[in-house]
Amino acid sequence: MGLAGAKNKRKVGIDPNNTKWSRNTESFGQKMLRAKGWEPGQYLGAKDAPHASSYTEANVSHIRVTLKDDNMGLGAKRNNGDECTGLDAFQTLLGRLNGKTEDILESERKAREDTKLGLYVERKMGTIRFVKGGWLVGDTIKDAPVEKEKQPTRNLIEEFVTKNLEDKEISEAAEKKSKKRKADEEDDKDDEKARKKEKKDKKEKKRRSDTEAGTESDDSRSKRKEKKSKKRKSDNDDDDSTSSSKRRKDKSAETGESGSTDTSTPEVKLSKKERKEKKAQDKKEKKAQDKKEKKERKERRRKARASSGSEAEAGDSTSREKKRRKASDDSAGEEPASGTSTPGGSGYSTPAAVTTSSRFLSRQRFIAQKRMAFTDTVALNQIFMIKS
Amino acid sequence: MTDYNSESSDPTKGVKRTNMGEDGTKDSKRIKTANGDEKYNPYLAHQYEDSSSQQNGFKSPLDQLERHNTTALQMSQAEDGERNPWTGEPHSQQYFKILQSRRDLPVHKQRQEFLDTYHSTQILVFVGETGSGKTTQIPQYVLFDELPFQTGKLIACTQPRRVAAMSVAQRVANELDVKLGEEVGYSIRFENKTGPKTMLKYMTDGQLLREAMHDHDMTRYSCIILDEAHERTLATDILMALLKQIAARRKDLKIIVMSATLDAQKFQSYFYNAPLLAVPGRTHPVEIFYTPEPERDYVEASVRTVLQIHATEPEGDILLFLTGEEEIEDACRRISLEVDDMIRESDAGPMRVYPLYGTLPPAQQQRIFDKAPEPLRKGGRPGRKCIVSTNIAETSLTIDGIVYVVDPGFSKQKIYNPRSRVESLLVSPISKASAQQRAGRAGRTRPGKCFRLYTEKAFKKELIEQTYPEILRSNLANTVLELKKLGVEDLVHFDLMDPPAPETMMRALEELNYLACLDDDGELTKLGSLASEFPLDPAVAVMLISSPEFYCSNEMLSITSLLSVPSIWIRPNNARKRADEMKAQFAHPDGDHLTLLNAYHAFKGAEQQGTDMKQWCHEHFLSFRHLSSADNVRAQLKRIMETHDIELISTPFQDKNYYINIRRALLAGFFMQVAMREGSNSKVYKTVKDDQLVMIHPSTVVTSPYDWVVYNEFVLTTKQYVRTVTNIRPEWLLEIAPIYYDVDSFEKGEIKSALSRVTEKVRRRQAIKGSGH
Repeated sequence: MGLAGAKNKRKVGIDPNNTKWSRNTESFGQKMLRAKGWEPGQYLGAKDAPHASSYTEANVSHIRVTLKDDNMGLGAKRNNGDECTGLDAFQTLLGRLNGKTEDILESERKAREDTKLGLYVERKMGTIRFVKGGWLVGDTIKDAPVEKEKQPTRNLIEEFVTKNLEDKEISEAAEKKSKKRKADEEDDKDDEKARKKEKKDKKEKKRRSDTEAGTESDDSRSKRKEKKSKKRKSDNDDDDSTSSSKRRKDKSAETGESGSTDTSTPEVKLSKKERKEKKAQDKKEKKAQDKKEKKERKERRRKARASSGSEAEAGDSTSREKKRRKASDDSAGEEPASGTSTPGGSGYSTPAAVTTSSRFLSRQRFIAQKRMAFTDTVALNQIFMIKS
Repeated sequence: MTDYNSESSDPTKGVKRTNMGEDGTKDSKRIKTANGDEKYNPYLAHQYEDSSSQQNGFKSPLDQLERHNTTALQMSQAEDGERNPWTGEPHSQQYFKILQSRRDLPVHKQRQEFLDTYHSTQILVFVGETGSGKTTQIPQYVLFDELPFQTGKLIACTQPRRVAAMSVAQRVANELDVKLGEEVGYSIRFENKTGPKTMLKYMTDGQLLREAMHDHDMTRYSCIILDEAHERTLATDILMALLKQIAARRKDLKIIVMSATLDAQKFQSYFYNAPLLAVPGRTHPVEIFYTPEPERDYVEASVRTVLQIHATEPEGDILLFLTGEEEIEDACRRISLEVDDMIRESDAGPMRVYPLYGTLPPAQQQRIFDKAPEPLRKGGRPGRKCIVSTNIAETSLTIDGIVYVVDPGFSKQKIYNPRSRVESLLVSPISKASAQQRAGRAGRTRPGKCFRLYTEKAFKKELIEQTYPEILRSNLANTVLELKKLGVEDLVHFDLMDPPAPETMMRALEELNYLACLDDDGELTKLGSLASEFPLDPAVAVMLISSPEFYCSNEMLSITSLLSVPSIWIRPNNARKRADEMKAQFAHPDGDHLTLLNAYHAFKGAEQQGTDMKQWCHEHFLSFRHLSSADNVRAQLKRIMETHDIELISTPFQDKNYYINIRRALLAGFFMQVAMREGSNSKVYKTVKDDQLVMIHPSTVVTSPYDWVVYNEFVLTTKQYVRTVTNIRPEWLLEIAPIYYDVDSFEKGEIKSALSRVTEKVRRRQAIKGSGH
């Protein structure tokens, strides 16, 4: 809270936690407990209780709560309104320092902007609702041409991000779920869950970004989108599709010059992820797979472009990449080379580790990423607040 | 009545035996007397006729059954019979209708499985979500298996809430086609509706605990069912620990622990890996929605969400969770107003809004089960109802038709801090488990939606996994006293599912020691034993017990009753000033306790004159409901006092010591809740020994508070307040609670010096008196 914030003065005593009492080892209560064999620091309750594993800190000391004296919603901060502007830039900087890849950052930024824009428009003008009018097939309008197609939905609450409870339970309370219940679920649901679980394995943020970028669309996801309450959301998707088509156009112009590097710069991380995903998603339809691949290609291409663009690291990284190229050429080779380009533009690439030893892989990647971040002029400019 | 029935059917011995069986709880002794006394009594002819016409020749199918060896099929046959197997009366028309709906319950499908498991084990953990029918059906299944007339032992089913115990008992009585209070009864704190025939008893968990104090082995029962164990109330937790002990001693006692949530593994491992039986409850998926951004005002957001649902979502009722009475009433008002606008402005469907919270009168609570309103005109938009509730509706109540749940993520929770000795109800975030429970409410009748007014990130990061059980959130003074009375010697190793924090336990022991309920060796004193007879806090009980010493036990009894019900003062937002003026009529300048007493006396006085009390209360801004329930509590407590020979006396009202005596008597129990003014003109007080800085709550009528005040409760809001205060003199403290106010035990500070000044003064005065003699 700034200086202008509301003052909330309160006189606090010398010992508000009454540690005087809690430190007193001579009190009647403590004497009684000790007489029965209790020692400070121990739990009460049966010795070697089988359920002792479920004890929490609340069994050790009283429960601490913060006093809530306003109507602020869960997770809302008091100073949300007068947040410093421009901190978003730092968000990307910090993300970069923490080794997030460019496309993740990009999609995070996009997500932030989307929510911001959405909220702004909503506050400023309210929302306009549309009524479903069927689908234009050929030149006649039909009710529902294809199932599982995204439908412009009426009747939905704008404000919410949707998620199925089933999914929730898997990711949040999987262990709580009794076997009984699980057994009762129908098979197809199980399948869906399994798929979702696999997805969960991926980083949460990754998943988010995927959603935002709208690239991944297996049927469960598209179903979810159907239910998705946001008109704004669907607008975004439209945006995405248009922009991606634009990108595609750009790409086709570029293919000539960058085509050679395109296929030859896969990353260990990516190929590993790909393998994992392949294993996980063999049930997925071909369509989904295609989209995935397209996206990966996109990433790779972007990186390649970036690495070739930045002179400083070129020698280092290309030699590495060459080594790696052999390892993952086969997986990359399968894919047709009709990739797209992204407006990346920050002029650095996310480096990848060389070693095949998985033990050091992540560590090395981390170090490499940090190093890259410091050799990256844009990042350094951001750190030293130099306007370029 | 029962005895006569059996006599009447004497001529045919076989029939008589069946009748004996039907009479449920009769023990073998009574059967014998009935057997011996076979003479025809002409004065009871009408009863003979009655019973012979109805019961002669009826053979209960239950007689062929072997206890603990029955099957679901046998039971179904018994239930399908023309006559009621328990009473021998013909079944009513309604019975078969209910029977059909009972058989549609999810739990019915697993009746045989339940019986098999039940036969194979002593302790059983049963998981069934709300709506599976477990609360009404399982006790009946047990009833048909335990066949109480063979053993003369009852079946108990505990409920955390009084209302639930009452309403479920009524429901089960209907299902069994018997009269409530006969074969099926209930027992709650201030009401006992059971009879000699009772075989199945619904009761609050606290009530069973009280019974256990006098019957350590619970010998009256052959099976004890702990329902809603997932709520983990204080009494249920203690009962579980107690039953675990008793089960080892009494191999014939069966125990069923019923929970509505899926964390039953914890129960299982606690009860020596007891077998678990689960019945699926929620049948429909619930879609979860989060907000993309945190909400700045959750009340407003929830009102908006409700309206948005009403405007845009298809038919289905709404359940909104808020934290407290005031907030709920406010939200209800706002929603109703907005909906009226909506209807006026556009063609919205009608919506009825019902509040639901614990202190709501039962009749109003029942209204939530009303049907949603009809469309305003034929073919118009369907109407819906919206229930705005505290977390009562989270697990324990099943409301059909709910399709949309709005969850702001907060609830009011009791918190106890043993260091400052403050127990308060605070609004705090719920747990993930309760968020899931709330969401689950939406999927009862068809696929539903749950709108969470927080972000997914907040759900993951800000919510704890499980709600803390009550035992970790309460002052345990009463519990410790109960445990001592229950014969639990070793409090340290008492096998609770969630042992409380050691500091909380210490504080409880310490308080009981100061109250002289426990002696210095930790043994229960006579006073302590007596205090445990009262369903009150030990401090209040001690105050009541020692009130005859101050010649005002009648008055203290009234004050105690008034303090144990919700506030009797009504202060509506639109008439605050008038309410305050009315309150001023009853005001006593020396204390809020005395003001309460004045109001009560005025209430009783008006009642005796035959005034319309509801009207009178309304005019005086008093709560008729709370006053009458205080009156009821008073009668109950009076009975307890009479049975323990505690004198009921009063100082004559004209005596100048009338109020002084009361103020002194307050200190006999509340001497640990005293605060001293910090500076000479300061508004800030400091609590004795704990040194917490407090202010006197603005609701007080005390215009010129003394330097020393006794208070009833410590309230945490933006500031720390003490509420319901009364002026006292420090001399009284030294006199009434010399051990607690032993000056040497105080740390250096204002309170110590003030106390030593007072001691000095008293000594000097006595010296003068002594020399004067």
